[in-house]
Amino acid sequence: MLQNIVENKIKYSAITVCLLLTFFIFVLMVCVVTHTSVGALFDSLRSNEIQFAIRLSIITSLISTILCILVSIPVAYAIARYDFWGKSIVNTILDVPLALPPLVAGVGLLILFGTTSFGDMLEGVGLKFVFTPLGVIIAQFFVNVPYMFRILRGTFQGINPRYEHVANTLGCTDWQTFWRVTLPMAKNGLLAGSVITWSKGIGEFGAALMLAGATRMKTETLPISLYLNMSSGELNLAIASATILIVISLVSLFVFERFGGFARVF
Amino acid sequence: MIEIKNISKDLGEFHLKDVTMEIRDGEYFVIIGPTGAGKSILLETLAGIYRPDGGQIMMDGRDITNIPSRERNIGMVYQDYTLFPYLNVDQNIGFGLKNLKMDKEGIKAKVEELKEFMGIGHLAHRYPGTLSGGEQQKVAIARAIAIEPKVLLLDEPLSALDSRTKSYLRDGLKRVKKEYDVTMVHVTHDQTEGIMLADRIAVIMDGRLIQVGTPHEIFNHPKNEKMASFVGIENVLNGEIVGNRGGIAEISVGSHGSLFAVTEHESGSVKLFVRPEDVILSKEKCDNTARNVMMGAIIDMQDMGPLTRVTLENDVVALVTKRSLENMALNIGHQVYATFKTTSAHVALD
Repeated sequence: MLQNIVENKIKYSAITVCLLLTFFIFVLMVCVVTHTSVGALFDSLRSNEIQFAIRLSIITSLISTILCILVSIPVAYAIARYDFWGKSIVNTILDVPLALPPLVAGVGLLILFGTTSFGDMLEGVGLKFVFTPLGVIIAQFFVNVPYMFRILRGTFQGINPRYEHVANTLGCTDWQTFWRVTLPMAKNGLLAGSVITWSKGIGEFGAALMLAGATRMKTETLPISLYLNMSSGELNLAIASATILIVISLVSLFVFERFGGFARVF
Repeated sequence: MIEIKNISKDLGEFHLKDVTMEIRDGEYFVIIGPTGAGKSILLETLAGIYRPDGGQIMMDGRDITNIPSRERNIGMVYQDYTLFPYLNVDQNIGFGLKNLKMDKEGIKAKVEELKEFMGIGHLAHRYPGTLSGGEQQKVAIARAIAIEPKVLLLDEPLSALDSRTKSYLRDGLKRVKKEYDVTMVHVTHDQTEGIMLADRIAVIMDGRLIQVGTPHEIFNHPKNEKMASFVGIENVLNGEIVGNRGGIAEISVGSHGSLFAVTEHESGSVKLFVRPEDVILSKEKCDNTARNVMMGAIIDMQDMGPLTRVTLENDVVALVTKRSLENMALNIGHQVYATFKTTSAHVALD
């Protein structure tokens, strides 16, 4: 009897805290979205500045996501399938950008591309990253590549190598096996990883701010636009950027939950 | 013919040590051994999935030790089916045919033929996740034989199936061998499976090949005590040959007196193996041709379904049918005679 009462107390307190937190998150989003009128929101969305920010965000995040995929596939496959000297250190270092504050990552990128001869060399062949949209892409790539890598590593580790062995006995070369078996079996992980990387890319602020700067109509992605317009008191424009970012987050969260159930980021 | 010469492989947990054997064309060759004995590594080394640390594998006189899987002309079937989950049954079966540069019509005809043969014609567009274990294994076998391999490697192919499906698929495997004229190499821990399928059996323990022979040889003439215990020969007696007349040796086994067994050996200390099902129990001394009789009291009786396992005080174990147990009204404490033929006793030099 006594135990029953204790259990019920725990149950109801836990559920109460749970509901309070849910309410807190919900109210926060509603506050942002309803801060201006619907008319003002649509006017802001049609403004040149927000249109530019949407375009730049989509282009940079798509390119950085593709880069993350292309780089993460071989890296994750190597870690998941092969043993090599120094693998555990490599594995740890690959996760570092995940723990690093994006501002610090941005400072590092700025120093690398802005002050070293390596940066000068890249600039010499036309790849200028400091205070340019290219910098936005590199910043997004650097901060988000561990997400893609970790999801793909888990995905490849989850594929029994026997599938690849069977494909080999059925006449596939190693490349054919990768294309016809490994990649199709990693499809859900690839999709989940792409969505999370893309939505993180669209929201990337700290590292992009450091490397690419916050220049109106030049390196102005949605989060940069939000920051600039809050600073200058253009509240309607800021809310428009915030609303778009909320919608993108919700959609990508849904897709991730739907397809990435088995893949763990952390 | 496949010749395996002094193959060694160390994978840490599992290993092979200096394994040498021959697998003849068109034979059903079963490799048995306890779990973790190295059977699967041997199979995967044959498949080209692992390169051996030492030794050589020859197929029809050609050295294939360092040739990749895809050029070995072998098929592989695993216990867990390993069907490609994103392809339907037809696409799974046709997977290897695509690599043979066959045209669409050719692939379709071949897939239909194989489905018909395996009795899975109705499954064409189903995906592996929706099939039963038995159905999946039939698809996996069809996929493996589609490329017309010379050798089909089967790694515990029936172990995950229920007993009815198992017996059905066992017949299926025999039909595959006959129809497609393929050499079968089948790994299992299930001895019954070995007896029912094998032309010859190889026993592997702790990474080493212990014995190769027909099922009769393996189960009745084990090479040593470890083999005897593995194949279920519970009666092992230590003795000394004291004479041999016309191929029948007289063996002194201490407190049991003298026993007789068919062997060429004329002297030396030996082990005598007798299968428990070859030991006949009776209350009166049997008056028949069997020359080996021991006496003892029953100390344990274990019901094993159709048979009962009876242990005597002198450690002799017999398997007795329910009926003869009832006829004789045997019970714990009763004195009985344990009799077996000279041909039922197998002798191995110690």
